[in-house]
Amino acid sequence: MEVKMKSLPPPHGGNLVDRVVRDPERGKKLAAGCSAVYDIKPTLYKEMPVRNVYREIMSICYGFFSPVEGSMTQAELESLLEKRRLLSGWIFPYPMLFDISKEDYKKLGVSEGDRLLLRLKGQPFAVLDIEEVYEINPGEVATRTFGTPEANPEVVKVPFDFKHPGFTIYSSFNPIILAGKYRIINEPRLRKPFDRFWFPPAKSREEFKKRGWTTVIAHQTRNVPHTGHEALLRNAAFIGDIKPCDGIVVNCIVGAKRIGDYPDEAIVEAHEMVNLAGYVNPKRHLVTICLWDMRYGNPIESLLHGIIRQNMGISFHMFGRDHAALGPYYDMYAAQILWEKGIPSFGLEAPPYAVEYGLHMRPQNMAEFWYCPHCAEVTYSENCTHKDELQRYSGSFIRSLLAEGVFPPPVIMRREVYQVVVKWWKEFGYPFNNKRYLIEREKELEVDLPPMEIPKFK
Amino acid sequence: MNYLAVLLDTKRLSDIKGSPLEGKVTDMFGGAIKALVMEVSDDQTSKIIDNLPGARLDARFFIEEVPIAFKRALFEKIKTMKSIGPEVIDAVLADLPRIKELAAKESESLPVPDIDISEALELQKKATS
Repeated sequence: MEVKMKSLPPPHGGNLVDRVVRDPERGKKLAAGCSAVYDIKPTLYKEMPVRNVYREIMSICYGFFSPVEGSMTQAELESLLEKRRLLSGWIFPYPMLFDISKEDYKKLGVSEGDRLLLRLKGQPFAVLDIEEVYEINPGEVATRTFGTPEANPEVVKVPFDFKHPGFTIYSSFNPIILAGKYRIINEPRLRKPFDRFWFPPAKSREEFKKRGWTTVIAHQTRNVPHTGHEALLRNAAFIGDIKPCDGIVVNCIVGAKRIGDYPDEAIVEAHEMVNLAGYVNPKRHLVTICLWDMRYGNPIESLLHGIIRQNMGISFHMFGRDHAALGPYYDMYAAQILWEKGIPSFGLEAPPYAVEYGLHMRPQNMAEFWYCPHCAEVTYSENCTHKDELQRYSGSFIRSLLAEGVFPPPVIMRREVYQVVVKWWKEFGYPFNNKRYLIEREKELEVDLPPMEIPKFK
Repeated sequence: MNYLAVLLDTKRLSDIKGSPLEGKVTDMFGGAIKALVMEVSDDQTSKIIDNLPGARLDARFFIEEVPIAFKRALFEKIKTMKSIGPEVIDAVLADLPRIKELAAKESESLPVPDIDISEALELQKKATS
């Protein structure tokens, strides 16, 4: 019996997608073949940015979303919404679409077979080879993406509405879809502090090899870590082969988020501080990012997380209660249900690792960590029996604590981690995302683009 | 039934010292945090969540992410009414227009805590140099 894991899992779909042109001269030639230019705009809801398609283009072209290579055709979108599968058969959770308004479509005058130049922050960024142009009903795409209590009774509890950020994102899409493959022709530079956390799949695999890691566990986050998170990631990492996992990878989802969340800058640096301050040895802890405007889709989002992390070379993924969730829409254990037995109404008759064209990554469904005054430690809910004394962690409670200016006790948050929160609080004048931060952030984005001379377009 | 926790720092603890409220102080996280925990009816919960953007029920059934102005007003009423009963919440809800005004200002900026962050900055400097 072979029990030792000797290699990292293969990329989802077999090969890592790499659609980044690194030679600027070749990039210019591709730009010259374009028939029109389009300046990428954020998706807005009530004048607030809720998504920027540039993040999807980055994550697709750098291979995080392998095997997806571009904006989906109508047939692919239908296949995905019907059974969460690409036309090639590989499982995939979310529609990836390049949407524009009818007015912009008319102005551009493009059609199938044309190459469209996509500009970001005033500079050439990528090209889209248009294979198909079609129209969607954004509300219908949103509803089918997340499900309904009638169609998906296993996990959907309440109909989705505009209080749900993911539903809002898809509902706010423009109706015209340009389908086709993307190629980045002018490689963006990640801005500080995100640059040091940029480990796209090819690079993360290289990094794991360099560190000698063959068993790696992923920790999904959109939060500054409290000691409950830390206990979760440390304990979940006891899974492995003949010994606990070699590496723990924290993968922060960076993108537009809701008002009241922590700024991404604080999230990435606070996680890094866990290893800089020595609470988890930096030799087995790596903080990374993925650009994506979080949809808060609980089981659906967890499938995307599995794909992202398997593509990065990660063998295990911890899934907790209310994974990537917000509000009462899904069962709080929906993600764990998906990874334990599948969700047939979403086209997954079995867990994602047990279906054909599924994932190789193994889930680690975790219950809860809470603070028990009786045990005098942060403890696993399946171990501790002091149910009348336990103290549950709550991100909302901790945010309230910080907002009221209360120094979080070490039993809740490491002092060095809190100092990082305060560092960014000083920078932005506010500890959490507010309207001003989100608008400003959307202008700056996470990248800068080098200047690139291209032919003039009408 | 839902809950609201009003955190008690040293100042607030001294404000209620000697009153019947002192016996109602709850220890959280092994005594690292002191709070007054109030029961909130479903009707009161809806009023709070519907009127204060961002306010939400967390997994513990605690109403969280309410404006600080709301928590301050709540503590003031607790202090003057010497109670953590439902009538205190009703009294605060009657003052919602003023609280909402204060909350709007609060969403722009919050005073940065005056703490030394050099330890974290030094660790970051060492790691990136």
